[in-house]
Amino acid sequence: MKTSRMPSMGRRQFMQTSAAAGALGLAAPGRLALAQSASPVNLHTWSAAVDTVKSHLTAFEEHTGIPVNYGNSPWAQYREGMVTKFVGGAPLDMMWVSDAWLPEWAEAGWIAPVDDFDFLMKYNAEAEDFCTNSMTYDGRQYGLTYYTDFMAFLYDEEKLKEAGFDAPPETWDEVVEQSLVMKEKGIAEYPMMLAMAQESWLIEFMSALVYSHGGRFVDDNGDAIMQHEGNGAVEALRWVVDGVRKHGIISPACVETGELSGLKAFASGNHAFALVAKYRLRMLNDPEQSQVAGNVKQAMMPMGSNGAHDTVGWMRFHGMSAQAAADQQRAENTAKLIEWFGGKADGEYKFQKLLFLDIGAGFGVKPLFEDPEIRAAYDAYGDVDMIQKQQAQARKKDVITPWFGEWSETNGSAWQSAILGNVDPKAALEKSAELWAELKSEY
Amino acid sequence: MAVLMAVAVFPILYSLWLSFFRMKLTRPNRTPFVWFENYTDLLGNELFWVSVARTVTFTVTSVAAIAVIALLVSLLLNQDFRGRRVLSTILLIPWAIPYVANALMWKWIYDSGYGALNGVLYQLDFIDKYMVWLGDQDKTIFLIANAFVWKEVPLATILLLVTLKSIPADLYQAARVDGAGIWQRFTHVTLPSMKPGFMLVMIYETMMAIRHFDLFFILTEGGPGDASHVLSWHIYVETFRNLSFGSGAAMSYILAIVTFVLAYFIIRFLGRRV
Repeated sequence: MKTSRMPSMGRRQFMQTSAAAGALGLAAPGRLALAQSASPVNLHTWSAAVDTVKSHLTAFEEHTGIPVNYGNSPWAQYREGMVTKFVGGAPLDMMWVSDAWLPEWAEAGWIAPVDDFDFLMKYNAEAEDFCTNSMTYDGRQYGLTYYTDFMAFLYDEEKLKEAGFDAPPETWDEVVEQSLVMKEKGIAEYPMMLAMAQESWLIEFMSALVYSHGGRFVDDNGDAIMQHEGNGAVEALRWVVDGVRKHGIISPACVETGELSGLKAFASGNHAFALVAKYRLRMLNDPEQSQVAGNVKQAMMPMGSNGAHDTVGWMRFHGMSAQAAADQQRAENTAKLIEWFGGKADGEYKFQKLLFLDIGAGFGVKPLFEDPEIRAAYDAYGDVDMIQKQQAQARKKDVITPWFGEWSETNGSAWQSAILGNVDPKAALEKSAELWAELKSEY
Repeated sequence: MAVLMAVAVFPILYSLWLSFFRMKLTRPNRTPFVWFENYTDLLGNELFWVSVARTVTFTVTSVAAIAVIALLVSLLLNQDFRGRRVLSTILLIPWAIPYVANALMWKWIYDSGYGALNGVLYQLDFIDKYMVWLGDQDKTIFLIANAFVWKEVPLATILLLVTLKSIPADLYQAARVDGAGIWQRFTHVTLPSMKPGFMLVMIYETMMAIRHFDLFFILTEGGPGDASHVLSWHIYVETFRNLSFGSGAAMSYILAIVTFVLAYFIIRFLGRRV
C-alpha cells in the first residue's frame, strides 16, 4: 500500500515559518488584524428582543471587527444571576442594568462609570434629564440608554362618553368623581385599575401616585419624608385606601393584582381608568390583543391637591463592568459597544429606534420623537405629542439606593396593609420610614 | 463517600459557617464575623415572629386536614365496591402534578377576575358578585393550605391505606365475637392499628408544610400585607432578594432545628403508643 507523508519540518524551519506567518498577519488589512487580535467583549442581557440584539451585534462585529460573546437570562432571575457572576468573577464586560440596581452594583464595585469616555457623554445633550439622572449615582454616570418608559394614566374613551364626560380627569378628585358616576350607571364595578401586588412594578405605581400628589419619599439628603402629612406620600396612599374602602372605585383585589393581570383586566374592558406603563398602550389598542382597542387614550397624570402632572420614569441601560474598566483595551472596546447600542450607530440612534419599532419600548433621546417612522408608528395607537409632554414630566425614582431592595419589601407590605385596612396610611408610612432610616444608618 | 462529602456534608457545614458572618453579597468587602448575632437578631425581628405564627397556622391547618381527609378516603378505598380501582387512579392525579404546576393551577382558580372558583360559585348562585380570594387577608393562608392539602392527600391516603391493609382480619373477627359494633371496631381496632401510618403521615406532612415554599411564591409572594409571610418565604426574601446569605443561613438552621424537634416529639408521642 502506498502512503504519502508530509515532508518533515525542522525546528529552525518551523520557527522561520511561524515568524513569517506572524509578520504577514501584522501586515494584513487593519480590520482583519483587529478581528484576529481583539479579545471578545462579553455581553450579558436579560432575555428581551434577543433577535434584535443579535442582528445589531452582527452589524457591530462587521463594523468594528470586535467579536462579542453574547449571553442572556430571564428577567426574573437576572439580578440574582448577575450578582453571582460578579461575585464569582465570571468574564463580563457589558451588561444591561436596571436603575433600581445601580447604587447596589456601583457600591459593590461591580460596575464602573463611563463618564471618562467623551464620545459617550456627548449623547447626554439629547437625552431626557430623568434618563441621565437615573443612570447617575454619586455624581458619576454609569451607562447609556437601553430603553426607558414612564407610568401613564390611560382611560377608555367610550366608557367616559357613556358616563357623560367629555374630557378625562385632570385631578385625582375628578377620577373619584367620574368613577362614582360610572359605578352608579353600572358602566364598571371598579372603574379605576390599580395593580398593587408585591412585585417589581409596585414601586413604579407608588412613585407615580406620590409624585402626582406633589410628593416624594425622601428629601435631597436621602432622609425619609414619606411619613409626613403634606409631603405627598401619605396623601397618595390615603387616596388609594379611600378608593378601595370608602368609594369602592378600586377593587379590593388590587393587592393581589400584578401588572400583567391588571393590564389584561383593563384590556378586557373591566375598567375605565388605569395606571400602566406607557408602552402598554400599543397592546391595549391592538384589536388582536384587546377588547377595548381603539378606545384607549392617554391623559396627563391626574394631580393631587398639591401636585402637578408628574409621573415616574425608569431606565434600563447599557453598563460596563469594573473588570472591563480595569483594562484599557477592554474598556475601550466595551465603550464602543455601549455607544453602538445606547448612542448612535451609523449616524442614528439605531438600536433605540429598532427596539421601539420592534416591541414598542420607549426611547430616552428627544430627537427620536421627530423621526417620521416613529411618529407614524405612534400615531397608530397613541398621541405622540401627549407622550412627549408626559415624558418631559417624568422623574427618576427617589428611593433608589443600595438598600432599596430590602426597604422595598417592607414598604410594599406597608402599603398593602393600609389598603387592607389593617393600619392607617400614616402609620403604614411611618413604619416604612423607620426601616428606611435604619437601613440608611446601617449602610 | 467523596461525593457525599461534596454534595451534602460540605454545604451543610459551609452554610453553618456562613451563618456566623454578616454576609451580604451586595457588600462584598464587609463580611464581619458576628458569632451568634444573626440568630439573636432574629428574636427581636417582628416579621420573623409573624412568619413563625403564619407557618404554625398553615402547618396545623394543613396537616389536620390532610390527616382527616386521607383517613376518610383510605377507609373508603379499603372497601370492596365497583369503580374502586378507577377512583384510586383518579386520586393519584394531584400527586402526579408538579408543585409549580399545582400552584399555577390554583392561581387561576382563585383569581378574583376570571378564576374558576368565582365562576362556579356565581353560576350556582352561591355568590351574587365575584369575590376577592387571595387578596382577602383573612382567607389567604387557608386558601393556600387548601391547595397544599389537595396536592398532599393522595400520598397520605396511600400510606394510610397500606396500614389499613396490614391489619389482621382476626382482630375484627375477635371484636365481632366480643359483640363490638362498627364504631367500636373502628375506635378499638382500626384507629389503634393505624398509628404507625399516622406517625409517618404526620411527620412527613409536618415537614413538608413547614418548609413549603412554591405555593407562597406563586400565589401571593407573602402578601397581601404579610398575610402569607411564612418562614420559608422569609428565608427566601432574606437570602435571594436581600442577598443576605449570613442571616438567611441562620434562619434556615432555625427552621431545620424546629423541624427536627417536631419530628422527635411526634415520634415520641405516637411511637409510645404503637
